[in-house]
Amino acid sequence: MRLLRALVVVALFVVAVYYGYRVFAGRPRPVAAATVTVYYCKTDGETLVPWKLTLGPARDRKSVAFYAATQAVAGPSSDIDAIRFPSGTIVHAVDVDGSTAIVDLGGALAKPTAGSFAESAEFKALVWTLTALPGIGSVQVKLDGIRVPTLPGGHFELDEPLSRASF
Amino acid sequence: MSRFRVRVSNGSPGPARPACWALVALFVLSIVSPARAQPAPNLWFAGTWLVLERSQTRGGEIAVPTDDPALARFLAHLGATLSYDPAQRYAIVTTADYRTIAFTIGDKRYAVGAVTETAPFAPYVSGGEAYLPFVALAEALYVQPVSQADATVLQPQIASLDVRNEGRVSVVTLHGAATLRFKRLSAGSDGRLSLAFLGTASTLDPYRDVAGDGLRSISISVGGSVRNPTTTVTFQAPPGGLHALMPAGAPNALAVAFAPPGVPLTGTPVPASGVASVAAAGPAPVPTASEQTTGEYAPAGANVPAAEPSTYQAPGYAAPAPPAPASAQPVQVVNFESEQADQGLNVRVWLAGGSVAYEWHRLPDNRWYIDFKNATLAVAPQDETLQNDAVLSLRLKQVTLDPYPVVRVALSLATPRLVNLVPFDGGVTIAVDRLDDLAPAKVGIGTLSAGVLAAATPTDQTVDQTPAPIVEPTPWKFTPVPVVAYAAPNPRLIVIDPGHGGSDTGAMQRGLVEKELTLDISDRLRSLLVARGWLVKMTRDSDVDVFEPNDSAHDELQARCDIANRAGARMFISVHVNSYTSGSLNGTTTYYYKGVDLSLAQAIHSRLIESLGTADRGVRKENFYVIHHTVMPATLVETAFMSNAADAQLLRSPAWRQKVAGAIADGVGDYAGAPPPKSSAPAETSDTDTPVPDR
Repeated sequence: MRLLRALVVVALFVVAVYYGYRVFAGRPRPVAAATVTVYYCKTDGETLVPWKLTLGPARDRKSVAFYAATQAVAGPSSDIDAIRFPSGTIVHAVDVDGSTAIVDLGGALAKPTAGSFAESAEFKALVWTLTALPGIGSVQVKLDGIRVPTLPGGHFELDEPLSRASF
Repeated sequence: MSRFRVRVSNGSPGPARPACWALVALFVLSIVSPARAQPAPNLWFAGTWLVLERSQTRGGEIAVPTDDPALARFLAHLGATLSYDPAQRYAIVTTADYRTIAFTIGDKRYAVGAVTETAPFAPYVSGGEAYLPFVALAEALYVQPVSQADATVLQPQIASLDVRNEGRVSVVTLHGAATLRFKRLSAGSDGRLSLAFLGTASTLDPYRDVAGDGLRSISISVGGSVRNPTTTVTFQAPPGGLHALMPAGAPNALAVAFAPPGVPLTGTPVPASGVASVAAAGPAPVPTASEQTTGEYAPAGANVPAAEPSTYQAPGYAAPAPPAPASAQPVQVVNFESEQADQGLNVRVWLAGGSVAYEWHRLPDNRWYIDFKNATLAVAPQDETLQNDAVLSLRLKQVTLDPYPVVRVALSLATPRLVNLVPFDGGVTIAVDRLDDLAPAKVGIGTLSAGVLAAATPTDQTVDQTPAPIVEPTPWKFTPVPVVAYAAPNPRLIVIDPGHGGSDTGAMQRGLVEKELTLDISDRLRSLLVARGWLVKMTRDSDVDVFEPNDSAHDELQARCDIANRAGARMFISVHVNSYTSGSLNGTTTYYYKGVDLSLAQAIHSRLIESLGTADRGVRKENFYVIHHTVMPATLVETAFMSNAADAQLLRSPAWRQKVAGAIADGVGDYAGAPPPKSSAPAETSDTDTPVPDR
């Protein structure tokens, strides 16, 4: 009987833990609002426009860098004239090595590129976005995991890390 | 001891113990693995079964892994992409119209643009892969699940219909889940245009009163079957009016403009028959003036020839509305109401006494206000705090009375919501949208008369009241580039680099191929320069890769630089043709990188702009490989945008390409003067040193 009682107690404890987990673990925890500044380049190819986006609850360095890079690649909503990465560009990964963010892009960007004008404006916006994050001073772009001199059929040089001074 | 004694002496467990152990095991199992593998649910999407291969369920909801091939097909059909890196916690879907849907591992909340939603369960990681709430994702992509007896049908929706009255022109923009495919059902002389959107459903209101000069109303009906719905949108315009497709900015959007009789409208005719996607319908011929005046375009099939839809200009559209003269009788604000709208707020302002000039401002701190000029309050001022997600407070007051009365409606927005002005017969509705406006500071002016807005173009603007400098657009300035002297070993030699070639076609649009155009222009340039006494070397003079067939980008570009560097050329000119994903960009750009490049680039660019008639996109510094890795003064000329209809037309013209070559040659002359005498040339020779006459 003592064994049975002990098992029942354990079972009740497990039930309590389980339901506690179900009730509280999935519930959003209040997180202080934080924003990242994302840039897009106007169609004049020169003017960078910052806008602020509220971060989700993941605030670790890699997550924030990934969030910012993905938003920069997506660009502003379609009613805003902006120079954009080709539709279908994917951010595979963003790593941070010291003060350099390593951005691995792919998808439509790996196909033969559009013209040089858009190319430099796209990377300008991406570099400004990531270097707006604390501790990031430069951006190394990779294409499908590989460092490349330019995009396929491209013009803009990508084999060295880019900084705001690169433009 | 008794426990062991019972267990050992009996040799078998008592009757209650297996149940207890099973209970414990069940709970432990349920905690360790709360999500269960589930046979793929019967999902029907876009005419076929969507078989999620490794989905699970959480609380009865579908959890789909980010690497499920069916999810990839689903997203691809909608023109969306998924970015996810297991090393971090966000999984972000970018839609065809550049919205982002951001999920966070471990959190139920997800962001659709700037709007936060709550999913039925928090995305989680299992087996190294992230699982996302599928239905929440589908709905954010404007796909509505509809239950049938044997399946859940995923219906793409027309999710929004926005109307802008600009001057006398009404522009309607529809946003769909996927590329909108339509069939024109009618466009008779009664001004009715009906478009059937195939495979698309909608839950939008069935009728909308527009009351614009160019468009009166919009009716929406949904027919067809659950699995293959059709949404018919009927636009009722004044008889004899014009309509045209306009650039909509995204493949899943369609914009149609409507102008009343007598107001010119330039755009792309709506195909009269057949089914055409927006993408196919976009590059249609611009109607001629005679077509425009008839009020009806010639019927066009689905396969329309390429041409650029150009922006329309309605008279008075861009002209700011003048303020009402101070001597005119003031307009009265006679009523003022606010009401909840779909995740937003509608503020209706009733006006009496004629037309009124207005001026609205969006401030970077989420304040928005509109001033009605020469207007007085006939109702009590209001200062109201709201229980609304979009608007925190609302104020109505008489800002000034003498000598020039102004009534102001001011909103404190919760987030930078999009605010639209929608006129009605007795005034105007200030409609606070559920979406955010990314332009942080804007100003707009116009007049409101008899239910019609004549709006001037809103402009991004730095506003005096702006407390946050971060929102001001940042003009880009290059740092000065040091000029390093270069003494050419071969001062008579110019290397011309026809961009791309061989396996690298460069850009291809509108039937044009960059590598062919660059070679043609370079050939012409070579002839001109040789005729003027220069030695010329081409990096390629046929359709080949310069390094070797199918070489890498690095080898190819470096080979071009090596040709110029080894030859000790006086200058390096790379000839290119630009392109972009839309036809919106045009013009000529000349690039430099090194300090020594600048004068050459400027000299050539001046001549190009002087003679070509293209838009001037300036001389720009960019880190382009071939002008970076050449040691002599080098420039890269982007002659025009083949993606733009007008520029493409120029590029097709041999005479225009000859002009380009002539302008570059003249720029070389401006930069370097006449070539040095032959005696100064070293042993290095060009492949062409025989003067040839100008073509």
